[in-house]
Amino acid sequence: MSSRESILAAVRRNRPEPTPLPPVADFGGEATVEQFTHWLHFIGGQVIHIDPAQPLEEVVRHLYPEAVRVASDLLPATVPVDAHTPTAVLEAVDVAVLRGELGVAENGAVWVPEANMLHRALPMIAQHLALVLDHASIVATMHQAYAAVQHTGHYGVFIAGPSKTADIEQSLVIGAHGARSLVVLLR
Amino acid sequence: MSHPQRAAAFTSDAERTTWHDETLWFVRQKRDKAVYGIPEFQQLRQLASDIKEHTLSRLDEYLEQFEQNARANGVTVHWAADAEEHNRIVLDLIRKAGATSLVKSKSMLTEECHLNPYLVKNGIAVVDTDLGERIVQLREEAPSHLVLPAIHLKKEDVGETFHLHLGTPKGEKDPQALTEAARLHLREKFLIGEVAITGVNFAVAETGAVVVCTNEGNADLGVNLARVHIACMGMEKLIPRTADLGVFTRLLARSATGQPVTTYTSHFARPAEGREMHIVIVDNGRTRQLGRPDFRASLKCIRCGACMNTCPVYRRSGGHSYDFTVPGPIGAILSPNIDMRQHSSLPFASTLCGSCTDVCPVKIDIHAQLYKWRQIIAQEGELPAAKKLGMKLLSSVLARPGIYRFGGKVAREGLRFLPHGLTHAAAFNPWAKARELPEPPKQSFRDWYAQQVVK
Amino acid sequence: MKVGLFIPCYIDQFYPQVGIATYQLLEKLGVKADFPRQQTCCGQPMANTGCEQDAKPVYRHFVDTFAGYDYVVAPSGSCVYHVRKHYDVVEQTGAVQHVRQATYDLFDFITSVMGVTELPGRFPHQVGLHLSCHGQRGLHQANESEMTPVREGQLSRLLRSVDGLTLTELNRNDECCGFGGTFCITEEAVSARMGQDRVQDHVLNGTEVLTGGDMSCLMHLEGIVRRRQLPLRVMHAAEIFNAALQQPSKPVSTYVPGAVAAL
Repeated sequence: MSSRESILAAVRRNRPEPTPLPPVADFGGEATVEQFTHWLHFIGGQVIHIDPAQPLEEVVRHLYPEAVRVASDLLPATVPVDAHTPTAVLEAVDVAVLRGELGVAENGAVWVPEANMLHRALPMIAQHLALVLDHASIVATMHQAYAAVQHTGHYGVFIAGPSKTADIEQSLVIGAHGARSLVVLLR
Repeated sequence: MSHPQRAAAFTSDAERTTWHDETLWFVRQKRDKAVYGIPEFQQLRQLASDIKEHTLSRLDEYLEQFEQNARANGVTVHWAADAEEHNRIVLDLIRKAGATSLVKSKSMLTEECHLNPYLVKNGIAVVDTDLGERIVQLREEAPSHLVLPAIHLKKEDVGETFHLHLGTPKGEKDPQALTEAARLHLREKFLIGEVAITGVNFAVAETGAVVVCTNEGNADLGVNLARVHIACMGMEKLIPRTADLGVFTRLLARSATGQPVTTYTSHFARPAEGREMHIVIVDNGRTRQLGRPDFRASLKCIRCGACMNTCPVYRRSGGHSYDFTVPGPIGAILSPNIDMRQHSSLPFASTLCGSCTDVCPVKIDIHAQLYKWRQIIAQEGELPAAKKLGMKLLSSVLARPGIYRFGGKVAREGLRFLPHGLTHAAAFNPWAKARELPEPPKQSFRDWYAQQVVK
Repeated sequence: MKVGLFIPCYIDQFYPQVGIATYQLLEKLGVKADFPRQQTCCGQPMANTGCEQDAKPVYRHFVDTFAGYDYVVAPSGSCVYHVRKHYDVVEQTGAVQHVRQATYDLFDFITSVMGVTELPGRFPHQVGLHLSCHGQRGLHQANESEMTPVREGQLSRLLRSVDGLTLTELNRNDECCGFGGTFCITEEAVSARMGQDRVQDHVLNGTEVLTGGDMSCLMHLEGIVRRRQLPLRVMHAAEIFNAALQQPSKPVSTYVPGAVAAL
């Protein structure tokens, strides 16, 4: 008997009496820009309100004056990135400006599906990350976020603030392996 | 060595014990603050517990559903009955990929299976990419906490390790600078991109996706740059629906560190074009635990580490005192299932204060299980002989009031008239190492009461 | 109402003043308790060591002793918790079921059964309350900090009602003291350290009298206080209430061991 069969047989032998699966939860909550901003600040990120009329490249140039290599599909990029871009090119990206689908007010997380990433590694390998988010797409909690996303697709990530660690003496350090900073450009 | 011996060694450094206790208590306080802020937190715990219990009650069906959906996504699913088979599967996959090195994000399962030494023995270079894991790997130590693997170390220790292995300046102990050094060092490893191993926080049956939660971004960076992704999961990681993630992601980070959510909550379902993804589903004693009605609830564990942060014993004895992959209260109920003899002192490394049960986000009755393991360990003859005999003697006395009254009097009178040096000799009386014995009164309560009734 | 007094073994032999205070406090509140002489122990020490099987005769003896009472009252939440929670392993006869339901911690009895939530009397001292885990997390006599911030529990409410008494604000509201039954011997190092840390919290925050509802925790803490010769006095809460209800001119208690620093 293969391990698969023997494991499944052991589960069938040992599993407890069936218990019901509770219905999907939703506890309401505040789907506000204020809550979202509060929590994103709490976890080390930043919210910047932008005027939809203002060209995005101006905003980005103003925010990252030093950035040379900008990857994005939302503005004229200086580094073209797609799913086949070699690692060496990705690694040199200073800023990635990508579209966030959904913001979560209770924790400052932003849903970024694969389709918005250009390359799966880009949101983590870029030194800095900016996510453009529509203020109308903020939901209150993770329950509503998953309800709105429905299917998490081939690959997708809730990104909540910049990469961080507290593995040395519980001292919080921003910029562990992923982006050193995270800005949500709210329009 | 047993837990008390290792714990005594830990507490002998009083200053470090204070630091360890206070650091983890601080994490517990952050957790409290996060929990108090969510009015429905207790309902969420109940929901999480119910979802996990339901899943365990139909685990075979969910495993098959998960496998089917994962396969449809283009993922190869492997099954491992034990640690040895798990390790062999992983090594085969690495060899098939023609790789000689890999990056690994945090996975308690691979720690449980002792994958690292196995791979190293077979010529594979393994790089743990979680900062804390990397620190303990460089020091050739085991993690001492589920979520904070290097919490037993001070920044000076890390500084020394990095000086030795990463060439940071001698005496450098600033966490910011040390983290930056690790970032640069590990980026090189990520960029090689052959094979990436991750753990799994949740496996969603209805989509075949695995969810990995990190703060550093190391899992995503590793997987998305590598040709082959191997996700290793214990079979209890399953949940039925994507919607269930709403419950668990709200509980996990708040319970673990007091964060509202982990920085990256990543859903991997299908490999990127031209790349491979494998999932290894591991039993390694879990089906046996499923068959123990008193202990199966331990399989609900989502590895948040809250029970460690709150445990007054763990905070003062350190993770290594448990000498098991999963330390702390949850480790003390998981370990006897793996090897009762070796870990027989762990269920006794608790005052049964119950704080672990109260913080557990999936409502595992940890302290009740500790109590139950004690009964089994005693029945299986794994108690030290002196303890066992003493308890038998005690019971026979306590069931006989006459002997009991006499014995109590002898003890009290003995304490009154024997010299302090004898009654408080540490060799005979561990109580007296740090504590005075009660001052024996002239009269017991029952003697006093007898006089009242006469009056 | 027939009330049986259960005085745990170590209180009987080493802290008779706690038994006396319990008896007298109940008497002042209008309850004449009876102390059945054949009582021994609840069996917890054996069971917590894993020897539940050996403890069964002790359980039966406890039930036989107290089956004839309407209530069983003990100045020790830990023993009460054991009777209620762990007497499920012997046959659930009517007597066993009755005793399990009828066994109360002293302050739970005073609060829930007698309906007393305030006590008159005076005790002009700063009192530090040690919340014992079995009373708090086991019997829910106070809410747990793991769930919500610790608010008024049964004992803190009674204490606050006493004239002149102020309660210490602790850094850690409800951390375990490290007694844990045989744990205090088998894990001596950690147990002692936990106790020292608890005592230190009280010292730092100005406690004069360290109290609680469970004498086993207090025995452990008192052992540390006396070893370190700290300016703290350890009293069971029954002793405080009993003293507070006496004439204010009388001494606080007549039965406190000598080595403790006098108030």
